[in-house]
Amino acid sequence: MPFLIRIVDLGIRFGDHQVLQGWNMDIRRGERLVLLGQSGCGKTTFLKILSGLRKPSEGSVAGVPSRVGFVFQEPRLIPWATVGKNLRFANPSCPVEDLLARVHLSGWAHSYPRELSGGMQQRVNLARALGVEPELLLLDEAFGSLDLRHKFSIMEDLLEFWKRRNCTVLMVTHDITEALFLGDRILFLEGTPSRIDGEIKVELPPDRSPWSPEFLEYRGAIIRRFLETSKE
Amino acid sequence: MRNKALLGGIGVLLGWEIVARILGIPLVLPSFLETLKRLLDFIQEASFWLALAQSVGEVGLVLLLVLSIGIPLGVLFGMRPGVLAFCRPLLAIIQAVPVISWLGVVVFSLGIGWRGPVFISTLSLLPMAILTTASGVRSLDETLLEMARIYRVPRWRRMRVIYGGALLPFTEAVIDVALGNAWKVVLVTEYLCGDAGLGVLIAWARQGVDTPGIYALSAVAVCLGIASERIFRNFRRAFRGGKKTCLS
Repeated sequence: MPFLIRIVDLGIRFGDHQVLQGWNMDIRRGERLVLLGQSGCGKTTFLKILSGLRKPSEGSVAGVPSRVGFVFQEPRLIPWATVGKNLRFANPSCPVEDLLARVHLSGWAHSYPRELSGGMQQRVNLARALGVEPELLLLDEAFGSLDLRHKFSIMEDLLEFWKRRNCTVLMVTHDITEALFLGDRILFLEGTPSRIDGEIKVELPPDRSPWSPEFLEYRGAIIRRFLETSKE
Repeated sequence: MRNKALLGGIGVLLGWEIVARILGIPLVLPSFLETLKRLLDFIQEASFWLALAQSVGEVGLVLLLVLSIGIPLGVLFGMRPGVLAFCRPLLAIIQAVPVISWLGVVVFSLGIGWRGPVFISTLSLLPMAILTTASGVRSLDETLLEMARIYRVPRWRRMRVIYGGALLPFTEAVIDVALGNAWKVVLVTEYLCGDAGLGVLIAWARQGVDTPGIYALSAVAVCLGIASERIFRNFRRAFRGGKKTCLS
């Protein structure tokens, strides 16, 4: 699989505080890559670098495509604009009704964010990211605030989109189930400053059942790995 | 609700009439009926209508200047806190200077006429417009701006949609406060350095010890103030009802 983005010796420092150090990785075109690490290890900062909001303190990031979709941890919808206008804000020519249908929100284009539940707002957040027809889709703990039913439903919507478009997905999370449900490669982040400490390839079909023995086996292996690492 | 307001208004007028009769000093408090009669005399005079037109024009011009200068400057100051900090002493001085203190400067530089009242009234209201708008910009949700940058939304659309939408309630507050104060300040400055307008008519009435005239003209000013606030409120309701956001 050819790589889309190449990251070499990436480091980020806030003043004297080194957050990440010596990150080297290739993000392959069309893969669903997950960065799994604890809170505060610089995952969001890394996404900010990929989306062009920050510059790295050290190293380089090459190959970031121009069309990047970003699903934020919180919906970040414009409160005074309708759902349809929120989608058009990111891309004025996006097909609003089609996008809303994809995230099961048909008929909500003229509603305001305050009229939607948290789960529905998060779906709009996803629809806005898909509306820019991203080559790279970034997800920043995008499902953390959702209840279980909404979480899996939105992740299924996302997988459906990925199957159609085969865009590259990069998700950061601390949730093992989310990581295993969406990712086909998982990188582990460890230490302070955080570094990439190994990876696993998830050899499960895209349509995954979180209670299948294979899924639970992966889950157990990751938990075991974390526990062993923390003992060290 | 409307009936209660009407009853309240009638109550005020009745109270006025009763207190005036009990007091019995028309030079201090003329009766409501006497004031009404004087008002009827005024509205038959062409000079009254000319004065009214002049005051309305001056208030309109003051509002236009306050909004067109105050809001852009407020946006600039909100985006550049350093500039605001630099200009804050000047704004504080302008805000604190009493209207009467501008008189010398205005009369000698602009003479007696409409320019003085417009200049002084604009200066009096401008700091409020600038500081209110700057507060609006500073309270803007930074995460929305970050979202816009990630999606590479052009600067103009960003300004229009995010800044425009966030500033709307602050702009409405500026207009509300400016409308409420513009009538008072314009009439005072007309009184002090104007050549025409309701303020000048009040000055003449005072010179002629025409107390019912002063009350009648003050009542006209109060009615104009209330009417302009009502018009703005209805406009705002219509705007919010038909076009709820500033996105096209």
